[in-house]
Amino acid sequence: MNAHHDPDLEDVLQDDEMRRIASLLSAARAPEPPLDEAFRTGLRRQLMNEAWAMTEGRLSLWRRAFAPPGLAWAGAAAGLVLIMSVVIYTSLQGGGGVQQIVVQSPVDGDRSVAVAQPILVKFNQPMDHPSTEAAVQIMPATNVTFGWHENTLSVQPTGGTLAPNTQYHVTIGSGAKTAAGKPISSPQTITFVTTAPPTPAVTPTPRPTPTTALGEKQLTGLAGAQSLVAQWSSDSSSVYYVDGRGALNVILAKGGAVTVIAPDGASSPAVSPTGDRLAYIRNGKVEVLTFASGKTDELSVTPTPTLVDWARDRIVWAAADGVYTQADDGSSHQLAPLPATGGLVAVVSFSPDGSHAAYHQDQNLFLLDLASGKSTQIGQASATFLGWSPSGSSLIYATPDNDVVADLHGVTQSTLPAGDTTWSTQDAILIGGDTDILQTRPDGTNLGRISGGTFHFPTWAPNGSTFAFVRGGSLWVATAPALPPAPTVLDEASVVVDNFMKARLAVSADQANALLDANGKAAYAAGGLSLIIAGDPSFSRYYVLSSEVTGADPDTARFVVRLVLSHGKTDVSDQEEALTLVRDATSKQFVIDQATGGAHRELGKGAEVVSVDIQNDTVKVTFDSDLDPTTVTDGLTIVDSKGKKLDATASYANRIVMLTGLNLKDGDAYRLVVLTTIRDVSGQNVAAEYDLDFFGPTAKRHGNHQDSVTPTPSPSPSPLPSPTS
Amino acid sequence: MSDPSRDDERELVELAKRDTRQFGTLYDRHFQQIYRFVYSRVREQTAAEDVTSEVFMKALKAMPRYQDTGRPFAAWLYQIAVNAIADRYRSLKTTQSLDDFHDLSVGGPALEDLAAHRDEVRRIWALVEDLPHQQRTALVLKFQEDMKIEDIAVAMGKSPGAVKLLIHRGVTRLREGADTLRPVE
Repeated sequence: MNAHHDPDLEDVLQDDEMRRIASLLSAARAPEPPLDEAFRTGLRRQLMNEAWAMTEGRLSLWRRAFAPPGLAWAGAAAGLVLIMSVVIYTSLQGGGGVQQIVVQSPVDGDRSVAVAQPILVKFNQPMDHPSTEAAVQIMPATNVTFGWHENTLSVQPTGGTLAPNTQYHVTIGSGAKTAAGKPISSPQTITFVTTAPPTPAVTPTPRPTPTTALGEKQLTGLAGAQSLVAQWSSDSSSVYYVDGRGALNVILAKGGAVTVIAPDGASSPAVSPTGDRLAYIRNGKVEVLTFASGKTDELSVTPTPTLVDWARDRIVWAAADGVYTQADDGSSHQLAPLPATGGLVAVVSFSPDGSHAAYHQDQNLFLLDLASGKSTQIGQASATFLGWSPSGSSLIYATPDNDVVADLHGVTQSTLPAGDTTWSTQDAILIGGDTDILQTRPDGTNLGRISGGTFHFPTWAPNGSTFAFVRGGSLWVATAPALPPAPTVLDEASVVVDNFMKARLAVSADQANALLDANGKAAYAAGGLSLIIAGDPSFSRYYVLSSEVTGADPDTARFVVRLVLSHGKTDVSDQEEALTLVRDATSKQFVIDQATGGAHRELGKGAEVVSVDIQNDTVKVTFDSDLDPTTVTDGLTIVDSKGKKLDATASYANRIVMLTGLNLKDGDAYRLVVLTTIRDVSGQNVAAEYDLDFFGPTAKRHGNHQDSVTPTPSPSPSPLPSPTS
Repeated sequence: MSDPSRDDERELVELAKRDTRQFGTLYDRHFQQIYRFVYSRVREQTAAEDVTSEVFMKALKAMPRYQDTGRPFAAWLYQIAVNAIADRYRSLKTTQSLDDFHDLSVGGPALEDLAAHRDEVRRIWALVEDLPHQQRTALVLKFQEDMKIEDIAVAMGKSPGAVKLLIHRGVTRLREGADTLRPVE
């Protein structure tokens, strides 16, 4: 073996054995250690930021390169109310003594800062504007403009808003000087985290309580009628009603003269589904008025009808012993018998689809299935029928205490306040009474009082905004305000995701587990994902990176959630979890059925994707940093499950890359790929390729209780018919 | 005759002293060796990143006060690194297997001798790990980083003679422990 020959060590290695040992030591070379390139570039970036801060009188890197000088942020001064948060004291020698510079910001330490606001930095003494502005550094890289109001600096992103779900570090570098020319001795950093972009409200919105905001209008007296027996024309322009003398009349909703259709003995008016005819009972017979011709036909039906309606284009009527329709030859044909024993039977309504009849027997409510002839009791004794959902798949009945929404098997869907109800084509229910009127979703959400006053027997028009009602023995009409949009599948599922993540943040395994089904529990069992994340860095916050509806039967939604880990106040890394939620068939609530984990990513090492919005034709990718636009076009791609790149057009503005011209197929697997060629405005490349797997979205639809239908257009206006004798 | 690379480095250092925004080039030039050295001492990636960050941040801030003593700029960086490691990792016990660390695939002995040679190298570096901290640092800088005595002296804040003494004592102690390492002749 060769002995070691190093002139440097000739007088140190005094014998062969020592030189042999030196040779052995030299023989081993350390291999290149594991190195995260993002660390190397991130540290360089930090150093350069610091170097710029150390260089007085010069603009900082990002500002020199991008920010238009002297742009004032006009609104910064207005309404400036600073909330004291962390106060940083820096001492410096002022003329004649020690003077403290206090740097404070209302957002320092805040972990839920709204994105649409400037970053306000307040100094306790006048500052030199150019040097202070030049000393400001922001991470992630952000183009900004400055405004001053007295001693407060307003830092406004040129894109108009801050990036969502992002931790910002705003450093006032040591290059900042007071107006007197004294520098800050060391950089001061303000740290805060922004919230997610605004999403549609999931929780009920507080409702205004106007006094007479519904435009109530008195149309006509009802001649002593104790209830409202009325039908709207299919174009919502007119109301057909029976007054206290048994006259069937019609009046325009906008007001005007009453037209008499049948002067007496009339009941049970029913407009045909196509809107072109009106059926009613008069003197034990069914009469049908055809609007276009003004002609009334009398149908000879047996047995004597008590209630008439339409099943598609066919007349159905109830008699004492059953439900009937008219056969092609004009004869009566029994669809289903009514119970022959027990107390008196009275059919009170046919469902809109003509499949069921509701009847009372004694003090009980039943549904009669006209196809099978079977009856089902609805509710307990004393239940009283109130109305149908627009599709006929649900009904409302009254108990002595409440109104109840139930399915056709009588299973309660929700409980509503007591009152007179009507269910609109827009899935809103009005509940009227002596003193006010309420509006609600069928599931009881969005319940609110919309006006005070007497509103008996409210009856929606097909347009879903106008309704008729009775007040003081007269017929009135009014217009109800639209309810906020019903919660979507994503709204409902995101509530579960939020609760799940909050439980984990609160180290409450029981609460988190309660939101998992068996599959979900297995995913977080031993050897799988960690339900409770312990240690340092610690789990400090989360945000939803993307969410999409991926199935409709049962409702299925997929969320990609970022779990952010922090050391002290600083976010240092994140990890992703993809959660699949399905609606439980029994409870109708979403549960987490599948969960998979993604890679850990170090933060602060180049631009990060913080939000992805997926539509069939467009994918919107939001970054935390302002990007170099020239790197965007080739930096983002979407590939299909075979790795084939999809054709898409990329456009960029304000941290958002829009990939348009896509044709994502429902349920197909895709991958968004963000390449390391993407560069932010400070010249920093994305640290490592980022991949996000997703599926072609299923068309979003409303949530569990939607029963709205599109109003049937009237084939022709409903003219006021000629009176008959 | 002056060394062109040294002249080039002096120029870069002078630029960075006047304007710290020029420090990036020096960082690019020396990052790898400092990171490698730090990693060799702390044996853990996150810790190596922390210490390396500290080294370069301190170097940047001290740049305007840097005095060229005629030694390579890297010697000064090593000095900061040695101090940072000593400050923060005085009590660190390395846990990583030396098998993972020392690359023994160097050329030299015939194949049949290679296994024995590897074993010997591995075991002598294991002995290095048991040396007092300063002897160990001196040996690492000399035999692993291949630095000159005078540069090691700068890095360790000692005289060249003191460094030689550390190396001498270190190798002597290794020799004492190496009697069992000698391969069978």
